[in-house]
Amino acid sequence: MIHQFSYMAPTELDDLLALLDTTKGGFKLLAGGTDLLVNIRNGLLKPDLVIDVKRIAGAGAITYDVEKGLQLGWATTINDIISSTEIAKHYPLLQACACDLASYQVRNRATVVGNIVNASPCSDMAPALLCLDASILVATATTRKTIPIQKFFTGVKQTVLQPREMVVGITIPSHTKDSKGVYRKLKRIQGHDLGIVGVAVAMVEGRLRIAVSSAAPTPVITDDLPLDVSAPDALYAVERIINPISDIRCTKEYRRFMVSEFTKRLIQEVRA
Amino acid sequence: MKIQVTVNGIAYEKDVAEHRTLLHFLRDDLGLTGTKEGCGAGECGACTVYFNGKTVNSCMVLAVEANGGTIETIEGEAQDGVLSRLQDAFDRHHAVQCGFCTAGMIMSARELIHHTPHPTVKEIQDGLEGNFCRCTGYEQIIEAILDATGGYREKEDLVYVREQ
Amino acid sequence: MYENNDPKTLTYVGKSALRKDAGDKLTGKAMYVSDMKLPGMLYAQVKKSPHARARIVHIDTAKAEALPGVRAVLTGDDLSYRIGLYIVDKNILAKGEVRHYGEAVAAVAATSLEIARKAVDLIEVEYEVMQPVLNHMDAMKEDAVLVHPDLGSYEYLESSFTPVPNTNIANWTKLRKGDVEKGFKESAYIVEREYDNPSVQHVPMETHVAIVQWGPRDSVTIWSSAQSPFTVRNLFCHTFSLPLGKVRVIVPAVGGGFGGKAGIHLEPLVACLSRKAGGLPVKFQATREEEFSLLPCRSALTYRIKTGVSLEGKILAQKMEMFWDAGAYADYAVNVTRASGYSASGPYEIPNAWVDAYTVYTNKPYGTAYRGFGHVEFHWGVERHMDLIAKIIGIDPLEFRKKNALRPGSITLTGEKITAHTGNVIACMDAVAKSIKYGKLTAAEKRREAETGKKIGKGIALLQKAPAMPSNTATAAVIKMNSDASVTVNIGLTEIGQGSTTALAQIVAERLGFDLDKVYVKLEKDTESDPYDWQTVASKGLLMSGNACILACEDMLRKGYAVASHILKAGVEDLAHDGERIYVKHDEENSISWQKIAVGYAYPDGESIGGPLIGVGSYIAQGLSNLDKQTGQGKPALDWTFGAHGIICEVDPVTGEYAVRKIASAFDVGKVVNPSLLRGQIVGGMLQGLGTAVCEGYIYDEAGHLLNPSFTDNKIPTSRDLPMEIETIAVESSQIDGPYGARGVAEHPMISVAPALGNAIQSAVDADLLHMPIRAEDVWRAMHNHHPIDNWITKTPTGSCRSDPAARRHTPDAAISP
Repeated sequence: MIHQFSYMAPTELDDLLALLDTTKGGFKLLAGGTDLLVNIRNGLLKPDLVIDVKRIAGAGAITYDVEKGLQLGWATTINDIISSTEIAKHYPLLQACACDLASYQVRNRATVVGNIVNASPCSDMAPALLCLDASILVATATTRKTIPIQKFFTGVKQTVLQPREMVVGITIPSHTKDSKGVYRKLKRIQGHDLGIVGVAVAMVEGRLRIAVSSAAPTPVITDDLPLDVSAPDALYAVERIINPISDIRCTKEYRRFMVSEFTKRLIQEVRA
Repeated sequence: MKIQVTVNGIAYEKDVAEHRTLLHFLRDDLGLTGTKEGCGAGECGACTVYFNGKTVNSCMVLAVEANGGTIETIEGEAQDGVLSRLQDAFDRHHAVQCGFCTAGMIMSARELIHHTPHPTVKEIQDGLEGNFCRCTGYEQIIEAILDATGGYREKEDLVYVREQ
Repeated sequence: MYENNDPKTLTYVGKSALRKDAGDKLTGKAMYVSDMKLPGMLYAQVKKSPHARARIVHIDTAKAEALPGVRAVLTGDDLSYRIGLYIVDKNILAKGEVRHYGEAVAAVAATSLEIARKAVDLIEVEYEVMQPVLNHMDAMKEDAVLVHPDLGSYEYLESSFTPVPNTNIANWTKLRKGDVEKGFKESAYIVEREYDNPSVQHVPMETHVAIVQWGPRDSVTIWSSAQSPFTVRNLFCHTFSLPLGKVRVIVPAVGGGFGGKAGIHLEPLVACLSRKAGGLPVKFQATREEEFSLLPCRSALTYRIKTGVSLEGKILAQKMEMFWDAGAYADYAVNVTRASGYSASGPYEIPNAWVDAYTVYTNKPYGTAYRGFGHVEFHWGVERHMDLIAKIIGIDPLEFRKKNALRPGSITLTGEKITAHTGNVIACMDAVAKSIKYGKLTAAEKRREAETGKKIGKGIALLQKAPAMPSNTATAAVIKMNSDASVTVNIGLTEIGQGSTTALAQIVAERLGFDLDKVYVKLEKDTESDPYDWQTVASKGLLMSGNACILACEDMLRKGYAVASHILKAGVEDLAHDGERIYVKHDEENSISWQKIAVGYAYPDGESIGGPLIGVGSYIAQGLSNLDKQTGQGKPALDWTFGAHGIICEVDPVTGEYAVRKIASAFDVGKVVNPSLLRGQIVGGMLQGLGTAVCEGYIYDEAGHLLNPSFTDNKIPTSRDLPMEIETIAVESSQIDGPYGARGVAEHPMISVAPALGNAIQSAVDADLLHMPIRAEDVWRAMHNHHPIDNWITKTPTGSCRSDPAARRHTPDAAISP
């Protein structure tokens, strides 16, 4: 990296949170680094201090409990998600989204928390988390709170997180476990690519949910729909939440078209 | 910051700038130039190494993150001058052309075989997705990996049109 | 030479010998310039223009120069050298004016990369931003901004090129054969249409890199990741007015070239930094982003073709207009224009032909040589056009091609006659057609359509290319026998991954009759010790260096036989040899081992004869002539390699998404020297061709900023982008003057992949595509008759650099019957 910064790697969560509180000057948290280090290299970010969050016990945790649901640590990687048998069994939509994220090497480093904190409109993990009612655990040195994922994203690459707050975990509740869900991502090539559009359709607790990435300033989700919702009604619900733009990857017309086409197809697929 | 890291079985203790990438540390500080920089942004995979048992793009890892850790690079693949089974398969199947992607490709191939001992063509393609090659078109690389895992079926390189 | 051998008599040629250079590359030992470090070496970085066109008002380098660790800072005003392969139009650093986004404006050499980058950040440049000209069709207009107002005063290669002063036309290549107007008058149908390609980048995995040390008394050493060390030396010496013997160019392992490293690029700038820094070696490696904009790309092309066809489907006349968007500097682009100009019709006989091919300057990163040298770009138009004509006149596309394809007796665009050993494009076409069962869907394919709802289509495209090179292109080989009777071969041809090192070793082993294990080919190139080779480009290496190697082998054998003749007291005509010894044919026990004469022979009493055995072979292109500048007639082609691709694709008729299920690629290579190497070239080239067809392309905004200067948005094929099935086919009509009958095929696999795909997609869903790349969205728009989007840019808030939509002709059914 050309921009110079210092590095710290606390070994206790309390020390890490204390650092957030006391550090003067710009700092960034380093989990997988697959967004942070790219942005530092490009000159978009110039922190004075980078704090590694991975050397603390529990950082990469995946805990499943029949009552409590699924708990993910703040540094659980995408490949950790893919190789978890519990997630395969109980939250397959999470794995479906994870499989489409970047390349294998990137998935060994990229974290779920990092993906949502980065808050790209193209986030691959957000559609699953939205469908599955995830809660984001946010901590400071002195506080803990839980934010529902639907309230987490506020704009392009923006979240509700305040400067000295840190996401310390993600909970996916037990009441969304064993939900069937499918995800489809449109790319420019078969190989790894950012999503041109991404659609997840899930059947959760007797309701149908459709989440979309890359078609609005944030990842978005429809209100709950009846399981037997008609295609036109489903498309109408999706139309209301998206606001695609034209950019160098795609025009808004094709984005709009593909969101609705994926919606139609995935609804059929998830019902089959 | 002083770091201790084991690379290809050899322990090193070095002073390194905190903002230095693992890739530059390996290449410039340790002289292990087998691992290459193709993009510096985690896209092309030319810099793939093993870090604590997992393949990563070393251009997107800080050297200081490797403190206390273990790294394996292409230089550790052959043992005592003898090519590994994978390297030998690459050789026999002409899976090397300009060679610049080869180190990263071998690392990813090794990792693929580790968690999928008998991969299908599709699994190989998926496993190598993060390693760009501009020369070979990947087909002979895939065949080398099939051969190294017992899945290769002999085929002719070319169909010859015998006419006139 | 030695063509038409019975394969049974050949030991090495025709076999898949393992690569000579794989071992080092597999173990990380191969040394690339990227890996090199020299004592005292400095690191260079450049300040790049954020503007497409601007006047440089002022550059303040004071802060950069004051930064500890900085040893040299240069701006355009410090240097008064101009460079250009064919038109001398480029300064080493922008001087007075920047002409493209990413152009180097200042450069720094410092003791570390970090300090160099910091120094670059400290350089302050004041620009007066000017209106750029971005679209090449706009640049052709009379009132267009001039990229090079002084074009009329530039030095250029007069024998081959025609710049037009006071315009943006860097070169105008003309070809006039027969009488096109008469031909059109006699035609039953006239079909006219226009086709487009964007710029793309070579994307070698190793970016451009050079280390230069400007030594005492102007002796300069250059280490470069380059394809043509002798060209680097020649152009360097010409630019700096140095004698050739003072400049040494060394090329170790190269991480891919694809034409992007064919000329001279970073070396002059790095040399100037070294000189300014008191002669310390300086290294500059381009970042991937710099590779996309500081370094050159492939020119974009708009190609208008107007064809007159008889009722029976014979082409009577064709008018071809090529508009090459060369970007800000001419570099190789003028020659791409020329070489494409004389090949512009593809592998068909055009009795009356008219070509106007223009190299047009625009304010964008400039075009250089790229695999195919224009042929990938213009075959898109040609082969889409052939399908269009066939459709309009109601003939099967293959039949139409067969009627018009070049065959023995045909006359090419430049007036050259095709012979029985030129190559067989129809055999290639038939082979791929058979492989994909062209013209119908099989029962299995129909079932698949029914099951998936997708449409399956099949398309074919033909191709041709001859090396684009001067008529006096030459090369040489030196083969030295070591004292253990192994041989070491020195050639100037560089190994850039294509496998020439191995193929040439096989040819040497074959001709000498030695074990392949005993043939070593020097991998690193050094202008000081290796014999001249023009350039490693143009698919001429195997043919020319192969012949030079054969001649060198024969020279060595003659010299060995001369010594043996003395020793064995026999005439040379009575001698034969094998890998171990030379012996008398009718008295085999009377022999002398190669080892004993390798570096001189000592008789038992000590008296000595002979000396180190060194074979030398020189080969020059024969029978070629320059093209007449008015008519384009002449003999430019060393050899023609023909080929064809057949593609089966599957298209989603609703969304436009598609996949290539199978590709069959056939080439008439004359003689397969190494099947595995050939397949590697075919598959690698095919996938690179698929990349330009499917996803590659530069995208700019209206101000000329490159919007996709990295892998994030400039995609290339990954392992998952392979067609499901690939068949590689070799036709072998011997090239009489090729080594063992072989001719080159390095570029050809890339050519015509795109139109084969376009034709297949059209056959599947009737989507008529005229521009590359073919994205899912483009298919969708074509299927549903939505307005096509510019292939360079989607409608972004910041706009597009396409010319006035009304001025562009996209008329899919532009058939005019007279």
